[in-house]
Amino acid sequence: MKNGFWRWQIRCIPYLYIFPYFLLFFVFSLYPILYSFDISFTDWNGARAKSYIGLENYVALFHDRTFWLSLWNSAVIFLMYVPIMLFLGLIFASLLNAGWMIGKGFFRMALFVPNFVSVIAVSFIFVLLFSTQDGLVNTLLRNLGWIRTPIPWLDSPWWARITVALMVLYRWLGYNMLLLLTGLQSIPKDLYEAACVDGATKVKSFFLITVPLVKRMLLFCTVLSTIGTFSLFTEPYVLTKGGPLDSTVTPVLMLYNESFQNFNFGYASSIAVCFFILMMAVSLIQMRLMDDRK
Amino acid sequence: METSQSLGKPARYGRSPGKWASALAFLLMLVLSALMMFPLFWLLDSSLKDISEIFVNPPRWIPKQLHWSNYRELIGERGFGIVTWNSLLLSSVYTAAALVFCSLGGFAFAKYKFYGKRILFVFVLASLMIPPETTMVPLFVIYKKLHLIDNIWGVALPELASAFGIFFMRQYCSALPDEIMEAARIDGCSEFALFRKVILPNLKSAFAALGIILFVKQWNNFMWPTVVLRSWEHMTLPVAIKALEDSNNTPYHLIMAGSVISVVPLLLIVLLFQKSLISGLIEGAVKG
Repeated sequence: MKNGFWRWQIRCIPYLYIFPYFLLFFVFSLYPILYSFDISFTDWNGARAKSYIGLENYVALFHDRTFWLSLWNSAVIFLMYVPIMLFLGLIFASLLNAGWMIGKGFFRMALFVPNFVSVIAVSFIFVLLFSTQDGLVNTLLRNLGWIRTPIPWLDSPWWARITVALMVLYRWLGYNMLLLLTGLQSIPKDLYEAACVDGATKVKSFFLITVPLVKRMLLFCTVLSTIGTFSLFTEPYVLTKGGPLDSTVTPVLMLYNESFQNFNFGYASSIAVCFFILMMAVSLIQMRLMDDRK
Repeated sequence: METSQSLGKPARYGRSPGKWASALAFLLMLVLSALMMFPLFWLLDSSLKDISEIFVNPPRWIPKQLHWSNYRELIGERGFGIVTWNSLLLSSVYTAAALVFCSLGGFAFAKYKFYGKRILFVFVLASLMIPPETTMVPLFVIYKKLHLIDNIWGVALPELASAFGIFFMRQYCSALPDEIMEAARIDGCSEFALFRKVILPNLKSAFAALGIILFVKQWNNFMWPTVVLRSWEHMTLPVAIKALEDSNNTPYHLIMAGSVISVVPLLLIVLLFQKSLISGLIEGAVKG
């Protein structure tokens, strides 16, 4: 029954179907981004009328110690946990990919659960565990005789970064491991068979077959981790409120503080724009690198 | 012990690496799993303690008495019953709405040809790269004008257009054979009915996987709800838990109990929906 009405239907229906999505997208995603650009050129504080001040916010941002510190903090935390996470993730994924391992389903779940539960819950658990005075970790370390004075997990700049890194590691090891497992599962077993026939040891075949083929997935995980680390908000917000001495402030936390603590909407928007450009650059670099591999 | 797939070849590859090595590896996985699960055990444990038992030396592994009163206090005096209901309502409605929008959109992108399709899809791709944090300030301003501050429905709006969701659905719909659509059309089915009667029933497992992911994401959502929700009656669980904090005397036992309330439904979901959850997540992350 391919009459005119049907023809009309089939041409218009797709637009109808995507309409709700795009309406929401334009109103709540696209327009705000553009509005953000606009506000970043003003000195608005949300209350009185705003006046345009050109690039003043960006100049101030360039000279703002906290901004550069936030980038540095994120980079440091990134280096603290990502290499370990990817290394361990690959090893455990290999173990879970092996034919002889039992209880795989249980292990996959157990490692994934930390990512699944609320960040708030995990953050507060870590506050309890890593509290300098009588948190479980310090108590155990002291009772075991490994340390004499309590480690200032949340009270000293470098230890605070380590604690945040530990928490992110805890939450994301399982997730990344699952991604790497998927990567591993796509490697045909024949390659290993052939290598075995040719006399390669398990270790050799790991480095010469597994690692190169999993590189793509490793890259993907790295990019996700980069964006994730710079976007960290809840963890530092709950654990340390960005302290001590701003050692765990991340760009997003700074953005939040400027927006909703200091109400410097103009300045905050300039941070948002810079952050947006930074993350876009990371994503685009990823796409480039991914395409090169093909 | 596995034997090689093809007969005739010596069964060398796939052989278990010896009893001791594999036992060690298994033990390693057990230890790792225990480490991952331990904080959750500590969560449950602390939620049933009196506040004075939480930071003690030597550590108290089992509370002297099970302080169910913590939960009673949360629900009775701190309004956590309403808060939990808010979370449940918000997450459910959000998930249902998002599934509808994303399945319609995903289906359109997958199975229809229309003018501007490519460019619109580029928009979807681009939106994946927009970190949601960058829209906080303008959204807040818009919300103030629309009186959406402290409104629970306002929390879900920005995320209803989930790029991940559309990708996922598009992927899924692409895999559906065109023949079933053609057959339905030959039978005189209108396009709307086509979606309802032919496509939807085939999307059940996609809905399950995507539904869980969206539900959990909204359930755990913290940053935007913190910005938007102000008064106790409107808060969701994560916001309320954080609000229990007090600069003088933080009731950690209550915070733990609140967190348990937040975590238990998720654990149930994990137990019940293991398979669809993991496959959905991986598919989405890799292809999105």
